[in-house]
Amino acid sequence: MDIIVLVKQVPDPEALVEIGASGKDLNIEPKFAVNLFDEFALEEALRIKEKHGGKVKALSLGGPKAMEALRTAIAMGADEAVLIEDEAYAARDGYSTALALFKALERETFDILLTGRQAIDADRGEVPQMVAQFLGLPHVGVVVKLDISDGKAMAESSLEGAKEVVEVDLPAVFTAQKGLNEPRVPLITGVMKAMKVQIPKLTIEDLGFTKDMAAPENSKTKIVRYLPPKKRPAVQLIPGEAREAAAEAVRILMDVERVI
Amino acid sequence: MDFAFTEEQQFFKKIITDTVDRMVVPRAREIDEKDEFPWELWREFTRLGYLGLRYPEEIGGMNADPVTAMIFYEQIARGSVGFAQSVIMNILMGTYFVYRFGSQAIKERCLYPAMRGDKVATMCFTEDQSGSDLSATRTTAVKDGNEWIINGTKMWITNGPHADFATVLATTDPSLGAKGLNFFLVEKGTPGFSPGQILDKLGCRGTITGELVFDNVRVPEENLLGAELNKGVEYLAEILDEVRVMTAAMAMGIAQAAYDEGLEYARKRIAFGKPIGTYQLIRAKFADMATEMEASRLLIYSAAWKIKEKLPSRLEAAMAKMFATETCLKVVDEVTRIWGANAFANEYNPQRHFRDARFLLYGGGTHEILKDFMGRMLIGK
Repeated sequence: MDIIVLVKQVPDPEALVEIGASGKDLNIEPKFAVNLFDEFALEEALRIKEKHGGKVKALSLGGPKAMEALRTAIAMGADEAVLIEDEAYAARDGYSTALALFKALERETFDILLTGRQAIDADRGEVPQMVAQFLGLPHVGVVVKLDISDGKAMAESSLEGAKEVVEVDLPAVFTAQKGLNEPRVPLITGVMKAMKVQIPKLTIEDLGFTKDMAAPENSKTKIVRYLPPKKRPAVQLIPGEAREAAAEAVRILMDVERVI
Repeated sequence: MDFAFTEEQQFFKKIITDTVDRMVVPRAREIDEKDEFPWELWREFTRLGYLGLRYPEEIGGMNADPVTAMIFYEQIARGSVGFAQSVIMNILMGTYFVYRFGSQAIKERCLYPAMRGDKVATMCFTEDQSGSDLSATRTTAVKDGNEWIINGTKMWITNGPHADFATVLATTDPSLGAKGLNFFLVEKGTPGFSPGQILDKLGCRGTITGELVFDNVRVPEENLLGAELNKGVEYLAEILDEVRVMTAAMAMGIAQAAYDEGLEYARKRIAFGKPIGTYQLIRAKFADMATEMEASRLLIYSAAWKIKEKLPSRLEAAMAKMFATETCLKVVDEVTRIWGANAFANEYNPQRHFRDARFLLYGGGTHEILKDFMGRMLIGK
């Protein structure tokens, strides 16, 4: 059972993010992490490998720092990793990212393609479906349970307030949702392997792309401007006994804020 | 000069930081409150293999260089200094002499299980009347045929009360002072070897520290951990710098944990309609703290690099230990001021960092002793 996992290096959830002076770009503190949903995908891939054999390969598109995400994948237990190094990755929209990943995946053979349901930086959740479309493969999203047998997968997806069970022939594309598993903490043997491993790099030119295909003017979507979230007022603490405090809270909600 | 961590070291830092955030940080408060050895965390964490950090890959270690080891010590102490003390005892002081001088049988019985976390190690230097002044050691080892008979009482022993084996400093000839000192291996269950009083400490809670009693403890000849008799102080010198820089790295771990708490609070706490971090006096505190922490790290990692390169590092290691610990004390103090009265409440973390930092003043040598030592090195006897 050969599995490929798409992994993205994203800003650390605690990194400071500020809108640049132009309003069209973001200044992000250089602290990075593996996209949380991709960690679920990676863990699931490793569990499937442990049960059914085969190998796990991690693939990432990003700048040089994305190497760290791939090393993390190796430390957790992935057998191989490849980086499509592209300094312009941040300027790409979902379509051109998916196209670049597709070009790399075209060269591979696999039974399962796993990735996170979305990257926690842009939160668009659009790349996996487009990759599946380009590959001509079925896609099951937001998976919280995945069982593999006899060349088929039974995938459980979470819906609002319910679950959906889908049977699909392999190869197929799955996106991982929180709840699928608890990602493992790497063992030191994996960490040592990850520290030494030479991870091959591809450029987008290697995939038959030209640099200007990633240029912002060629994106199918364009970021017009970023707007900061509305500032929330400070928390208001209501002192006193619970009964009186609750009554005061209701009074504020009805008379001051007029929300109930 | 190249001050950068290698790509491998940066990756290692990232992994150990994440591991500590996931496994240790969420339990730090409970470890402090209960003040019991965290067996569950010990089993989960040691399963990952970090206790073999410094030892060769051929025996299941990681063969980490001193710079990489310092990254580990700093991060584990950032999580919980109580837990870190127990972990580092198994990694460094508690196993070094067994690794260096132990027979194959001893290594199989003690070192390898300690690298896996199946056995808890300790090292016993301090006594009620001696710490930095090793020549005042009163624990004795007397040769009797093919055995050594050990008598004495050790105090302030990390992991002591539940250690499976101990490296014990004892004199074989009190008339020789420091030149009569040697290390001996004593294993749990040896008749006459027993734990004594457990200390109720201000900080570093969760690592169990206490007294160990040696009452006519007989150990075989091979338990003398040294190639030659009466060279104990020379052997100790082999890891002294590493121990001091390790203490400095632990200080930076505590300082970073406190600093992070301070930063979050300064950004969120509103006073007079604005986050307190927008006021100049609070900003000045962060400028000072960050500067001194950066200076501490330069000392720590440059001393670690010198140890790695086998360059003279005695003075630099002492400087790093003293400067980083004093910086840590300043940072934990400033963070309690930033937090205001909330820092005085046991339900928040700044008071824990404030208490924990005190211990590093004494571990690895008091600063009074270190300053005298450094002055002697600089001026001459």
